[in-house]
Amino acid sequence: MYKLISIFLALFFLVGCSDKLVRVMPYEKEYLAQEKMSLSPIAERAEQEGHIFLIREASAGGESSFQGGCGCR
Amino acid sequence: MKKLIVVLLICINIFAAPGVGDKEVDFNLPNLYNQSATFSNNDFKGKVVLLNLWASWCDGCKEEMPFFVELQKEFNKNDFLIVLSNIDSDPQNAISFLKEVDEKRVLTSLYDKDKILPKGYRSIGMPSSYLIDQDGKIIEIFVGSIDKKSMKNLKLKIKDLLGK
Repeated sequence: MYKLISIFLALFFLVGCSDKLVRVMPYEKEYLAQEKMSLSPIAERAEQEGHIFLIREASAGGESSFQGGCGCR
Repeated sequence: MKKLIVVLLICINIFAAPGVGDKEVDFNLPNLYNQSATFSNNDFKGKVVLLNLWASWCDGCKEEMPFFVELQKEFNKNDFLIVLSNIDSDPQNAISFLKEVDEKRVLTSLYDKDKILPKGYRSIGMPSSYLIDQDGKIIEIFVGSIDKKSMKNLKLKIKDLLGK
């Protein structure tokens, strides 16, 4: 009986660590979705920074996901 | 050992998200436009319902809204109903957005301040839509915004459910 209870308690605590409790659910992202929460809140500035990054690295498309940034394309 | 397995199976069953073939989640929610009036599942019994969980801060939710307005216009409201459930903390945000896309209030809108429905359905994405048949059984789950291709599939399912 004690074994059963200890297993149950172990499972109970393991479930407590599940990602459901830690992860922010999609319906809870109201404040995270606000513009001021983005990493680059000023779009123009982000664009300028991206442009400078491309010149510095000589890797057109390097910041996007569709090219590797190796400069070979 | 058998007991433990049974307990585990029961726990898994209790905590599982409602899926296709399961019963819809019960609710009693106020109307978005007039919060003194409430709607519950029983109000939609006997109708095919597309329950859409949305928020005005979710771009994908806003994208699909014009499609829903057109879809609702295609079907008789006595047979098929699109029910929107908004989870904004300020309902005015939702109302002002809907004013732009659904001026004539074609869509049935609920206000779910406590996020009862997304919690009940354990939605893994926003927006989420649930096609529910006349008996309250979930027929199809759409996670993410419904595009033109999914809309075709959705229309076929609705027509199938309505026997048309």
